[in-house]
Amino acid sequence: MKVTDIVEKLGLNVFSGHEGLGREVTGGYASDLLSDVMGHAEAGTVWITIQTHRNVTAIASLRDISAVIITSGEKPGDDTIAQSNEEGIPVLGTELRTFELAGRLYSLLG
Amino acid sequence: MKPFRADLHIHTLLSPCGSLEMSPREIIARAKSRGLDMIAVADHNSTYHCELTVTLGRETGLTVLRAAEVTSAEEVHSLVILPDEASTLSFQAWIDSHCTNMPHNPDIFGDQVVIDRDENIIREIDHFLPAALNASIDEVESAAHSHGGLFIPAHIDRPAMGILGQLGFIPGDLFIDAVEVVGRIADLLFPVIRNSDAHVPEHIGRRYTEYMLESASFAELAKALRGEAGRFIIPQP
Repeated sequence: MKVTDIVEKLGLNVFSGHEGLGREVTGGYASDLLSDVMGHAEAGTVWITIQTHRNVTAIASLRDISAVIITSGEKPGDDTIAQSNEEGIPVLGTELRTFELAGRLYSLLG
Repeated sequence: MKPFRADLHIHTLLSPCGSLEMSPREIIARAKSRGLDMIAVADHNSTYHCELTVTLGRETGLTVLRAAEVTSAEEVHSLVILPDEASTLSFQAWIDSHCTNMPHNPDIFGDQVVIDRDENIIREIDHFLPAALNASIDEVESAAHSHGGLFIPAHIDRPAMGILGQLGFIPGDLFIDAVEVVGRIADLLFPVIRNSDAHVPEHIGRRYTEYMLESASFAELAKALRGEAGRFIIPQP
């Protein structure tokens, strides 16, 4: 499954990083503690978080994460968007809470 | 120039997690008995006990600095140490304008009371003080500096509520005056200080930092953090 399929099926907003919409997705990871993501998230996963700090994109790049989904209607700042565009890692958004979004993504990835 | 021993992170009873024994008077008495030359009171997102502690400190010969432990939107705790009364009032107004007004339950979290010099309760705070402000860590940093204060990410080596735990690494474009550590960290690019983060009287001075200064004051501390004019942080063994 590609990032673009997830965007379509879950009705997500695409804030930035459009270049990366064709990336393959192999799993998901939900965490708001960036040190935890830095240590444990696997390459190819979609990362679900409410954090919007620009370190999110840096860590997504470091772990080769396919896309970031920001939940609860939170919006990334300009610097996060700029870095996401630079790295080609999509930053997506939803009004759903992490729990609901993670459930839907889990079903989708089967 | 001589060494001054300072513990710049002490909670009063205003913090919900602060023991009710942590009155400004008790803090000063303990600090003096522990051989501290300078302290800072740093309650969660609040400065309401700063003036009283400064006054009592002045009367008894202990330098007290005004500070707050600010929680950013990312749930990173940072010490903001302020130069004087006016900047502290103005910084408190900035905090209030970013407050998210989380309800407080004293039975779970503990009381949040402001007292006077006779230790009478004069005010109770009804929102949960340590809750994250709706201000990013970058906004906290710029507010600290625009008020003439020092910005010091707190307990960065704790697994959570410190900048490394919450954000994974220290963003390169933050202007950081020093970092506070609990354990021992080598090879940091920033000045490193240690403070007690005391919530009970017995913890005051359990960690401290020595500074080479002309006198115990905010201005001298700021110079020491920058390594200016012969002032410096005395390296720990």
